[in-house]
Amino acid sequence: MNRNTDDPRHPWMRLNSAARTVRDTRDTAAPYGFATRLAALALGSERRMVSLLERLSFRALGVACLLAVASVAVNYQALLAVGSGGLDEFETTPVSDAVTVVLDLAD
Amino acid sequence: MPDDADPPFDLAGCLDRVRQRDQAAARELVDHLYPMVIRIVRSHLPRRVPEEDLAQEVFMKMFTRLAQFQGAVPFPHWVSRIAVTTCIDHLRAQKRRPEFRWADLSENEADVLDAVMTNENDVPANDAMAAHELVHKLLGQLKPDDQLVVRLLDLEQKTIAEIAALTGWNQSLIKVRAFRARRKLQKLFQELQRKEQSTS
Repeated sequence: MNRNTDDPRHPWMRLNSAARTVRDTRDTAAPYGFATRLAALALGSERRMVSLLERLSFRALGVACLLAVASVAVNYQALLAVGSGGLDEFETTPVSDAVTVVLDLAD
Repeated sequence: MPDDADPPFDLAGCLDRVRQRDQAAARELVDHLYPMVIRIVRSHLPRRVPEEDLAQEVFMKMFTRLAQFQGAVPFPHWVSRIAVTTCIDHLRAQKRRPEFRWADLSENEADVLDAVMTNENDVPANDAMAAHELVHKLLGQLKPDDQLVVRLLDLEQKTIAEIAALTGWNQSLIKVRAFRARRKLQKLFQELQRKEQSTS
């Protein structure tokens, strides 16, 4: 048997040249409804994802606003004091700070 | 020009409308490209994967990646590359390749294979279908990437440059794969001949 598969007389090449003569007569048109289904899947699903993202974004914005209002309400007294200059530097320093306690002891 | 002739398909206009999320344009685009995609899918179809499912996957990738299309190559070439790479991904996913055995061949296929291995004559025209089946079964013995290269080179008679454009692989790699695949085919033919001689 011929050992060079590049050779046109090699069995592989002769099988190929015969195989090439077979014409594919199957229909190449898209099946009924294929394009409609695909267009809906491709363009529709993306829109659903965008709207989901939009809804989540608005929800996150709402939660962030609530947290901001709550933090202002909880710290209202402190904010008023800072605004009126009632709290000095030392009063605003947390007492639980280890460094502050050590410095106080050193004094 | 006759009045009833279809106007040429306005691909650029259609793509613009698809980018604006026009579903009618998307349908037109799918209908326009389906024949090209289904030909690629059919010629590289992995076992047990329905051709319509694979075509759908190709089109879904096309729509998902549409924003990445820069127009460096014609749009149908870009889609055909997606089709080829999708097929190769499916071929790679099929780890096991069926063993090629004389016993699994039809009578006609066995006769054709026996004839090409024992004489130097061309395959008769009425045995072309059997030769076609044999080529596909033999290709099924190769690794997916090698299979793709040999199919494109020997069966579809594409050039190395065309295969490089279609797959995105460099030309040296394609030549190496073709060499490796042909060596494996030669080994396969030798084994078949040995088995045939031992049974006769």
